[in-house]
Amino acid sequence: MGTAQTSPYTPATHIFRRDLNHYSADESSQRGFSRVLNELLLTFAQWLGAQQWSVGLHESFYMYNWIETTHVLTLTVFLGMLFVIDLRMLGVALTNVPASKIAERLDLPMMIGFTVMIVTGLLLFYAIPVRTTQSVWFRLKVILLIAAGINAWIFRNRMKKAKPTWDLDPTPPKNVRVGAGLSLSLWIVIIFAGRAIAYDWFDCGKDQSAFMNWAAGCVAAAAE
Amino acid sequence: MDVMSFFTWLEGSTLGHIAKSYGGVYAVAQTVHLASMALLGGTVLVTDLRLLNVALRDVPSNAVADGAHKWFKVALAIILLSGIFMVAGVAMKAYYNDFYWAKMAALAAGILFVFAVKRPLLKRDHSQIPGWLLKLVAVASITVWFTVAACGRWIGFS
Repeated sequence: MGTAQTSPYTPATHIFRRDLNHYSADESSQRGFSRVLNELLLTFAQWLGAQQWSVGLHESFYMYNWIETTHVLTLTVFLGMLFVIDLRMLGVALTNVPASKIAERLDLPMMIGFTVMIVTGLLLFYAIPVRTTQSVWFRLKVILLIAAGINAWIFRNRMKKAKPTWDLDPTPPKNVRVGAGLSLSLWIVIIFAGRAIAYDWFDCGKDQSAFMNWAAGCVAAAAE
Repeated sequence: MDVMSFFTWLEGSTLGHIAKSYGGVYAVAQTVHLASMALLGGTVLVTDLRLLNVALRDVPSNAVADGAHKWFKVALAIILLSGIFMVAGVAMKAYYNDFYWAKMAALAAGILFVFAVKRPLLKRDHSQIPGWLLKLVAVASITVWFTVAACGRWIGFS
């Protein structure tokens, strides 16, 4: 990995609607279905990126930064609540409070935070769609978000079923602790993937392996 | 050693060299910083929302405040350690950045507020403390920690 393309003291935001549209990838890196899918995604991203509001949002220093700031600060509401719930489920925090009370009472603020994060996240994507679509980190983030969602659904069901037997125990059963540990780990990697989107380590157009071009979905530009 | 000399030394130190040279390591530090910020925010909000009677109303507020404070200290320690590493990589830029100093001032105020005001007060039996005072402490706490986080984010934009 090279040095950071942006430091935290440089706008990580105004990275470039640069000419990824005109990038020609190694033809062998994309074949068949994945090539068609990536071309479709790129065409959609180019269409989105050409919209006046997308350009305006990207070029508006304050608007873009306020949205990104809201996205990051809402971590404290959404992930803050989630981490407290997960730590209780691991049996290491607030052990004198029934686990179900922590989970149920913090669910609403957590979901409010989640909603704000989704809305601001979509706006951030809307502002820089072409580069983001071809970011390996963004793709990883989306996959991990789906995985975290599935884990949360399984975790919630497991918790409901087992609640009468362990709710007052300081340490929940092993399968609940495993779910909480997995949730914590997934979200920490999601934060990393989100942060890494700002770096240009594996951007299309760089001299990199066919695998990375495949993973980032680099395709020859239809716009040429 | 004055403040500027310290920042110059920090940037030239081994820590500064690692932070500057290895983007991957820097991104990991940012991730740790953000994750611990989320945890710190979670513990602050859980306590303050309870004091404001917004969340966990059927759980004794003493239990919430005591349980959350333990993890607040853990989160604060990790934030400070990862923050020192991060600033080492961009020490001179930080030195000349107004928002960096605003964040440091807010952080100092936040730490002072927690350990000199909030915690000593919340260690007592909450039923003996006037409700308005608990609510005032909660609002002040949310305000000060929001200021720290917002200034931190804005460092990157200025």
